[in-house]
Amino acid sequence: MDGSKRNWSPMVVGALTAAAVLLAAGVLMAVYQEQLYSAQQAKSVREQAQILAASVTAAVVFADQKAAQEYVDATRVNPELQAAAVYGGDGHMIAGFTRDTRLPAIVKEVSASTGAGYIDIAVPVSQDGAQVGIVLMRGLTEEALRQSHKMEAVGQLSGGIAHDFNNLIMIVKGNLRLLRRKLGAQTEGTPVGTYIESADEALDRAAHLTQRILAFSRRQPLTPQRVNLSTLAQGLTELVRHSVGEKVEMIMRLNGTWSTLCDVNQMENVILNLAINARDAMPEGGRLVLETRDVTLDAPPAELEGENFTPGDYAALAVTDTGVGMPDEVRRRAVDPFFTTKPQGKGTGLGLSMTFGFVRQSGGYLVIESKVGRGTTITILMPRDREGP
Amino acid sequence: MKRRGLLLALLLGLLPGSLKAAPSLEYAVKAAYLPKFIPFITWPDGAFAGADAPFTICLLGQDRFGGKLDQAAAGLHAGDHAVQVRHLAGPDPAANCQLIFLPAGSDPALVRGTLDAMRGRPVVTVTDSGLSVHGMISFVIESNHVRFDIDDAMAGEAGLAISSKLLGLAHAVKMRGQP
Repeated sequence: MDGSKRNWSPMVVGALTAAAVLLAAGVLMAVYQEQLYSAQQAKSVREQAQILAASVTAAVVFADQKAAQEYVDATRVNPELQAAAVYGGDGHMIAGFTRDTRLPAIVKEVSASTGAGYIDIAVPVSQDGAQVGIVLMRGLTEEALRQSHKMEAVGQLSGGIAHDFNNLIMIVKGNLRLLRRKLGAQTEGTPVGTYIESADEALDRAAHLTQRILAFSRRQPLTPQRVNLSTLAQGLTELVRHSVGEKVEMIMRLNGTWSTLCDVNQMENVILNLAINARDAMPEGGRLVLETRDVTLDAPPAELEGENFTPGDYAALAVTDTGVGMPDEVRRRAVDPFFTTKPQGKGTGLGLSMTFGFVRQSGGYLVIESKVGRGTTITILMPRDREGP
Repeated sequence: MKRRGLLLALLLGLLPGSLKAAPSLEYAVKAAYLPKFIPFITWPDGAFAGADAPFTICLLGQDRFGGKLDQAAAGLHAGDHAVQVRHLAGPDPAANCQLIFLPAGSDPALVRGTLDAMRGRPVVTVTDSGLSVHGMISFVIESNHVRFDIDDAMAGEAGLAISSKLLGLAHAVKMRGQP
């Protein structure tokens, strides 16, 4: 017995040690991989910054903003870059671009730093060994990159599934119709008839949902036509009033006269969606203002800063509530697909992101202004249709 | 009368961004540009009298810079060569210029003669805006901004190499090998 005990222990100890070593090696390997990736990502951002720094020298020396901007814009093709900018010898920005992020106005020092989801690399613009400026580049970290890839995959996947799902729904609907025809008058007034009725209604809702997912993943073609947002909103008054309930006071200010080109059904969905969001933000009741107006914008609103904005005439539709409002971090993520602050089962997290997708697809912009405790205004800016009034 | 003229000049000078109203600004920009061209150009070995000979910017005729060029070039080096500015009343073969500036208002015959004399020699010829004949680099005014054209073919004949970075910034470029 003693002998066997003595024989067992070293084996167990050995096995445990081996397992521990393997585990540790695995963890180390994972950490190493992670670091390797971060290092690679940093290296890639640094290389691009250096290429830009080398090519932009003359533009920096001669303070030629237009030329510098052309060089910076060439780096836009890389979707992993969040921002890039060129700073002159005095540290002031000469040219730059950003995607949903802000860059410092003045940079004088060469540096490398990591922020939330991004990595900043600043390299010198040199001439004959002397620093004449700085190039700053902001790349996504692996985590942020993974998230954006994941969102893309989710979008594609849900689009594909919704398409198949739609076909399945049509089969079930067809069979229900056949069943009802087969049973004929027998079902009238019986529970069976009610069952079929409920199933059919649920299928309609399911079909509607898949339509929305399809529209979101841009697999459903839109049929644009000339629309006056005031007329459209006027027509929806009753429906909106009904959806927001009695606790909410509704005010319509329809002063917009310009037309825009968009898909009418989708635009109706957008208005309803915005109204329902506003209602959900005011569980204790409040005031909802649905407003349309004509606006001419020479520069993007502050919330759209850094986006590729086309100045011009816009037909604007705004929905304002006096609800709970959103903190900044929620506001920034509000249009992310599947992002919702509503309780489980209450919201899909697709409403605003679909609105966003549709508005962008129609050449417009979505602006979210919000203050916690004060309320939210969501404005959609649709490009004015020049052919129309 | 004189006072009113002065007042007018002051007022015109205050107009923002308008180069025509403030010739000093235009020439301040040109004075700043001239030394900045140097790092983007490579001179052949024989262009300098010796390893420690100065780099000479020659200013032919009237000094429209009012001393600004001397300020801009002060303390600069082109490689191992200290940059100096020489004011020449007329063409001077002994001046040993590496870069020569021909200001607006110069006698066209003098400009043409100078450009002909410099042809094929490793001297960067810079002509002012408003002149009808052009050197390797010629200033142009476009929508109130100072810009420049580059004749890279002429530079090539002289054995000078102009960096593509500078060519990329030019308003117009005459490439080598073009008629």
